[in-house]
Amino acid sequence: MIEVNNLKKNYKSFQAVKNSNFRVEQGEIFGFLGPNGAGKSTTINILSTMLPPTSGTVTINGYDVVKEQNRVRESIGIIFQQNTLDEKLTAKENLMLHCKFYGISRAQRKSRIDEVLEIVDLKESIGTLVEKFSGGMQRRLEIARGLLHYPKVLFLDEPTVGLDPQTRAHVWEYILKLKEKENITMFLTTHYLDEAEISDRIAIMDHGEIIAIDTPKRLKQQLGGDIIEITTSDNEAAMKEIRENFDVVDLSLKDDVIYCKVENSDAFVSEFIKTLQTPLTGLDIRKPTLNDVFLSFTGREIRD
Amino acid sequence: MEGIIAIWQRDIIKFFRDRPRMVGSFSMPILFLVVFGIGMGGSMESLVRAGTNAENFNYTEFIFPGIVSMTLLMTSIFSSLSIIQDRDFGYMREILVSPVSRVNIAIGKMLGSASVAFLQGVMMFVLLPVLGIGIDPLSFLLLLPVMFMIACAFASLGLLVASLLNSMQGFQLVVNILVMPMIFLSGALFPLNNMPGWVSFLVTLNPVTYGVDLMKHIMIDVESLSAGVRQEMGLNLTFFGQPVTMTGEVFFLLGFTTLLILLATLSFRRANS
Ligand SMILES: Nc1ncnc2c1ncn2[C@@H]1O[C@H](COP(=O)(O)OP(=O)(O)O)[C@@H](O)[C@H]1O
Ligand SMILES: [Mg+2]
Repeated sequence: MIEVNNLKKNYKSFQAVKNSNFRVEQGEIFGFLGPNGAGKSTTINILSTMLPPTSGTVTINGYDVVKEQNRVRESIGIIFQQNTLDEKLTAKENLMLHCKFYGISRAQRKSRIDEVLEIVDLKESIGTLVEKFSGGMQRRLEIARGLLHYPKVLFLDEPTVGLDPQTRAHVWEYILKLKEKENITMFLTTHYLDEAEISDRIAIMDHGEIIAIDTPKRLKQQLGGDIIEITTSDNEAAMKEIRENFDVVDLSLKDDVIYCKVENSDAFVSEFIKTLQTPLTGLDIRKPTLNDVFLSFTGREIRD
Repeated sequence: MEGIIAIWQRDIIKFFRDRPRMVGSFSMPILFLVVFGIGMGGSMESLVRAGTNAENFNYTEFIFPGIVSMTLLMTSIFSSLSIIQDRDFGYMREILVSPVSRVNIAIGKMLGSASVAFLQGVMMFVLLPVLGIGIDPLSFLLLLPVMFMIACAFASLGLLVASLLNSMQGFQLVVNILVMPMIFLSGALFPLNNMPGWVSFLVTLNPVTYGVDLMKHIMIDVESLSAGVRQEMGLNLTFFGQPVTMTGEVFFLLGFTTLLILLATLSFRRANS
């Protein structure tokens, strides 16, 4: 559905996207995860014909984003990072204009509008001015509008940025519902780790470069096991003991906490507690997160 | 086609919804009417009367078409420039990412800005009784399409300027170096006679000149004026030595609009790449 080959984008001499290659299959949710400034919006803008690539080729639904812009535009829906609703118009007027831009026939407009408003639970607000909407409602209306012309691919650029946690969860609920109902291909970007988890596959991007692409599960598995955080009264002695008696993948000390990576945390912990001589003050088992994945690739954490 | 209508419709809906703006945008034209019509009117009238023996010469009658043209110019230019704000974030992206062709986007926006300006201009005519000016219904009906055409020319200019500016910061500059000179060098507020060559040249290229002149010729019974008054009031325009006709003015404005729409479309395409 989406094919990207050797894509590069420079702003003057600054390389915002460096040689990217990936494919997204029909019906897949594909996530782009990376910190602010990684090049996520730049990529999504190229894929949606809003920015020309410096080099490389991109096809969406079989159409080239440079040579067949109109075909691509008909095939996609997009929710931009910034709000692009007209706040001085009502929800219905915003949706009506969208129908006209996309050449939806007069006979179909009303039923389509009802249908998408139903999905995002905004039917009651159809006649309300958008400026009266809360942030979360506006986002949902944008999602509804993006669906109005039955796009083959829906792009979502940080769909929940700036929303409170409860509203964020709400918006994702709608996105997942949509995925179930319409089997639409989705390409989303986020810098929230937990949000990336819902993707079927994730590309991790940093400084314009894709550093890993895989399912969230396999990315985490690649790290080779669980992380156990240990605090003791004498960390040096404890680390020595661990090194001597256990088979660990990785062992490090940071801020008075021992980070110990093991393949199977259950087996390790039961044995560890039994044999450790140094008095134990704390123990925490953590399954690896995408943050750990990012950390292991870049040596940094993704911060908000 | 549907795309053009939608873009136009958006401007119209918002125009009728924004009452404060509708009222607020009258303040400037009314100020100009007071300053130029009443303030300068007295001395202009006595000057003209002394020079030509024209008994019932009314200066406000000359000023009014100029002030309406000024309203058309300012409203359509500002309306077109609003797409700069819309462009990098906001609604313009919704339009640009849709399959509506770029030239239709330009035409739709031009028609939207022009319609808003046209409506503002038409509303100015409620002032006629207050000003003691009469207009016969037939002239008024003829005036409507002419005013719309004039507004289209100005809106397309605004669109081209918007495509060349990359931020709202240039806005004040546009007002100072484009809008104000276009008004002053058009004969809208005072007749332009015996100007130095380069000024006459600018006046000749200025679309406002022909808009104002067309409106004056429709609203004022030019034939009844003596040759002297016509000359004094700058009603004998020439275009590089040729006398200007109303048909010529219409063609100038239509040609100007078409050319600028095309240039604006090309300029938008370039800006997008
Ligand atoms: N129009 C532009 N001109 C110059 N640099 C830009 C422009 N847009 C983005 N950038 C730069 O490109 C990098 C990637 O930006 P962006 O794609 O917006 O990142 P993200 O969406 O991942 O936060 C950033 O360093 C940003 O400053
Ligand atoms: Mg971004």
